[in-house]
Amino acid sequence: MESLIDRENPQKLYIQLTEIIKNKMLNKEWQVGAQIPTEEELCTIYGVSKATVRTAILELVRQGYLIRQQGKGTFVSKKVISEGLTMITSFREMMLEAGVEFSTKVLAQTVMMPTDDLDVKLGISEDKHLIYIKRLRTVEGDPVLLQEAYIPHHICPSILSEDVEHNSIFELFEKKYGKKITKVKGYIEIAYLTKDEAGLLGLETGSAALLLSQHFFSGDTQVMYTRSVKRPDRFKFSIELEKKA
Amino acid sequence: MPNTKTVKDMMIDVFEYPHMPYWFTIRQAIGIIKNSLIKSDKCIHPQAVLVFDEKYNLMGVLTLKEILEGLEPRFLKPSTKAQGISGAEEDLSAVWASLFPKECKERAESPVSNVMIPVKSFVSPDDEVAKAAYHMVHDDLMLLPVIKGGKLMGIIRMIEVFQEVSDVVLKD
Repeated sequence: MESLIDRENPQKLYIQLTEIIKNKMLNKEWQVGAQIPTEEELCTIYGVSKATVRTAILELVRQGYLIRQQGKGTFVSKKVISEGLTMITSFREMMLEAGVEFSTKVLAQTVMMPTDDLDVKLGISEDKHLIYIKRLRTVEGDPVLLQEAYIPHHICPSILSEDVEHNSIFELFEKKYGKKITKVKGYIEIAYLTKDEAGLLGLETGSAALLLSQHFFSGDTQVMYTRSVKRPDRFKFSIELEKKA
Repeated sequence: MPNTKTVKDMMIDVFEYPHMPYWFTIRQAIGIIKNSLIKSDKCIHPQAVLVFDEKYNLMGVLTLKEILEGLEPRFLKPSTKAQGISGAEEDLSAVWASLFPKECKERAESPVSNVMIPVKSFVSPDDEVAKAAYHMVHDDLMLLPVIKGGKLMGIIRMIEVFQEVSDVVLKD
């Protein structure tokens, strides 16, 4: 039986709709890889506005349950989401060879508009400008990490002209622009390298690498999204968990 | 045009226009134009996207026309005839229509650098508007970058230039 929106329920409509859609995926009613109904169809099925449907879908895209493909539609994600790590977490990443020095080469520091689902990942509208920074990190001449950072231009326009070869963007936010990073949300998965990524990292196209996606927040505002592709043979991760007091 | 305004009096902020790097595809450019200009009802003319390099240097401009040209089937590109188009070329518009759906998706994956109008001329903020008008007429441009000390300061459009020229012409 179709779950319905309960208008007597004090919970917001988009939250109810998010749960209904999530349950359809968890119950396999909507199979992995399947295209979900359009926003208009969901409006009709659940008797809610387009804004409510859009907010619910964006939330599920943000959580990783759905994938939006420009011009094609919205699909059930093939990735499994791990939930429930609600502890204070400190996260470190280490090179396998401890104590090595990185060199950084800035491949791009320019401006673009959000494409694909970057607007959803950053929680901004599609017509906002983004600062795009692409950097390649090498150790003793060997490329080990390719990082792309996306920063809404209105958040910190001056980053566009900063020296990001010798400075960490994180530190620029905190020390120079007074934007304390209060939360970082990260996802680690296996990625298969595109031709461009493989060429830069010195690997074969299609070979597996570690992909770390991170969302940086200052208070309630997301200030940056980064996508870091790492050679799997050069990194290990260390996660420390500490229960909230 | 004596005592006319200078470029800085009428240039607009570059962030009025969507931006993209030159390696973006035509397909991505179409998405940007739809999201930033059409869906948002932004009444900016000409509707265009500014194309930049890796170091945020302006490389070119992309309008709806360049996008359509970029999607055009390859062998239908115009010839360089001195006089008008032939009947055979007119007939090609029918072939264009039949080939278009098949080829346009493939051609939409080309980088925008292949189809943009490269920036060849520019003005500085203290130039008179007449100089901007000159470049627009002789270089067939609807907008011009305003550059000072190698830095992009803004954009001047034909509509503002026309406004200034019309004030001079119609002044009593």
